Amino acid sequence: MKLNQECTLLQNELRKFAQQVILEKVDELDEKCSLPFDNIKQLAEMGILGAIIPEDMGGAALDTMSSVVSLEEISKVCASTALIIAVHNAFFAYPILKFGNEEMKKKYLPKAALGEIVGGFADCSTNEVKVKKQGNDFILNGTNPFVLNAQANGPIVAFLPTSQENEGFSAFVLDNDIPGIKRKGNANIIGLKSAGIGELVFENCAVSQNALISAENQGEAILAEVQNLGRIFVSGIALGIAQGAIDNAIKYAKERVQFEQAIINFGMVREKIADAITRIEATRLLTYDAAMKRDANENFSQAASMAKYYAGQSAVEITTQSIQIYGGYGYMKDYPVERYFRDAQVINVLCSTPVDEKENIAKETIG
Amino acid sequence: MEYFFSEKEKQLWQKAHDIAENMVRPIRDELDEKAEFPLELIKEMGNQGMFKIIIPEEYGGTGAKIMDMCIAVEEISRVCAGIATAYSVGALGSGPIVYYASDEQKKKYLPKIATGEQLCAFALTEAQAGSDAANIQTTARKDGDYYILNGVKQFISNASVSDVYTVLASTDKTRGARGISAFIVENNFPGISFGKEEHKLGIRASVTSELVFEDCRVPKENLMGKEGFGFIYTMRNFDQARPGVGAIALGIAQGAYEDAVDFLYKHDLLGNQYVQSKIADMATEIEAARALIYASARMIDSNAKGISKVSSFSKLYPSDIAVKVCTEAIGLMGPYGTLKEHYLEKRLRDAKITQIYEGTNEIQRVVIALEIIRETGIKHQKEQS
Repeated sequence: MKLNQECTLLQNELRKFAQQVILEKVDELDEKCSLPFDNIKQLAEMGILGAIIPEDMGGAALDTMSSVVSLEEISKVCASTALIIAVHNAFFAYPILKFGNEEMKKKYLPKAALGEIVGGFADCSTNEVKVKKQGNDFILNGTNPFVLNAQANGPIVAFLPTSQENEGFSAFVLDNDIPGIKRKGNANIIGLKSAGIGELVFENCAVSQNALISAENQGEAILAEVQNLGRIFVSGIALGIAQGAIDNAIKYAKERVQFEQAIINFGMVREKIADAITRIEATRLLTYDAAMKRDANENFSQAASMAKYYAGQSAVEITTQSIQIYGGYGYMKDYPVERYFRDAQVINVLCSTPVDEKENIAKETIG
Repeated sequence: MEYFFSEKEKQLWQKAHDIAENMVRPIRDELDEKAEFPLELIKEMGNQGMFKIIIPEEYGGTGAKIMDMCIAVEEISRVCAGIATAYSVGALGSGPIVYYASDEQKKKYLPKIATGEQLCAFALTEAQAGSDAANIQTTARKDGDYYILNGVKQFISNASVSDVYTVLASTDKTRGARGISAFIVENNFPGISFGKEEHKLGIRASVTSELVFEDCRVPKENLMGKEGFGFIYTMRNFDQARPGVGAIALGIAQGAYEDAVDFLYKHDLLGNQYVQSKIADMATEIEAARALIYASARMIDSNAKGISKVSSFSKLYPSDIAVKVCTEAIGLMGPYGTLKEHYLEKRLRDAKITQIYEGTNEIQRVVIALEIIRETGIKHQKEQS
């Protein structure tokens, strides 16, 4: 698939940046569960934090295709860095840009474009957070254990169950300084350990109705749209994980000698490489197709679910087989593939589980 | 399914079950997090007779039946595969002694292994000898009444906590695999040290490190069997041991499946037919793996011939199933499945090693394929004559 010139330039720039800058600290950050703030700062200077934000608000106004290609390149080396950027753009900036009022846009987007704030995302529509209305405020209590960019310390777009009768939920932007919110990092996650996924604990947290992005109880449509864009971005990250893992494994297989020859000569290794590359190419086509559909203003919901479903499964399968190419070495922290394997597991369940993606694909097909 | 366990087997299962629930479960998280070997627990398992099942009756054990090992290991691994590995490594190390050592050697070493007083490990792998196991560079040079060992063994499970090792070293480099010999080495022999300790993705309760020999003097009476037969003993020992590795994988899959189904039930997600389809497949595959392991174990215990292929089946399929079930379970549980508190992520990290250790699954496929080719060759020769 031929990318346009602008997109190719960006791809090359990020490939270089990932190899020359991100690679150096990626394992150390994973080990310590630390966020890659230096990477984020430099990527902000390159305009990537404002990927989907319009130019008049300081953003780069990239098309979906360019955003996806960027995420893929970053993710080949560090999926955590890529996820922080994807969440900031698709799950934080996008709902504000598309559905927020002018005041909100002015308040958040110029800063988001420059990376002065890195926004997060909490889907509390299905879990244990309780919301009570009190005058013009909503009082929040409970915990969400899986908040994206929780540790980035920026404001968070949250979907909260505002209706007592299960009649819907609402979208909010929660400022980072409102009282009653505690953030906890989550070192207890299998992968994407540098992505700042964590816990949000609400204790009598009062949120003003001015923080509403959607009309009250009308969050569902917004969430669906956010998830659709999110799926394309997450597919790009999964694609990068799969490609990065097999690239490493191929390099290793060329160097590793057993039975008096490089193991790359063995059919069982070559078969794994052939399967992986075929799946990666199929993933790439599905992912780019979803991105192009969105850029052409076509309905891309089914394309996004197909891309995400296939990309997630492929990342899991290819990273599993990449460890296998390394043999015992692949199981050790000294080599990078075990990190790709762990990261793929988280990516596979982001936005929706594989089961939900399949249901979405079936629904869109059948009508 | 009903597998018609004997009374003795039922009692063993119950004992393993009690150990797993009462002693393994409370400490498994901490050991995984700290990558700590459960020495106290392993010793207590010894007190309870759990090492007797790998030793013949005449040397203080209860029979060295592969089936017993499978029953015990599956149940412990259902709760923690790291601890199951730490425990079962003893069998891999003692296996060659049980099958190939002299009566004198057996009398000297096996009774202490049976009680758990001494832990035993197995040292074959080296940096350049992984799948190509015959490519070991460690040498054993005869010097009067001693063999002098030099070399570095890599990825040795339980190296730093064991008392006795079965070590493979070359006594005649010119003869390749046929120049490899097996030795019983004690950890207090001069010239032994432990090198780099590995940081692993999973089975972190099992310690893995280098075992280094620098002019290590091993008495010549510690040569096992005959010079030059070490590689054959090793391959036969693997044939015996693979169902046990399969049982570790099976335990992981069973535990993951149980936890996932409980989670899905509590969250009212079992009504979904996509989910039903997945859990039905999981349950079927787990039972198929179990049937395969038990059948292989019974076949080996009956001293049947030609067990290599079957033994490889019993490691290949369950380990692939273990990784698959854990991955699918995380997929069904969604983001929660990736968090430590639901334990699936740990099971997946543990499961991955079962596709690798004691011969990667690619090596198992080679073993199976070569056996099929050999059998087919014989069939065609018969047809032609």
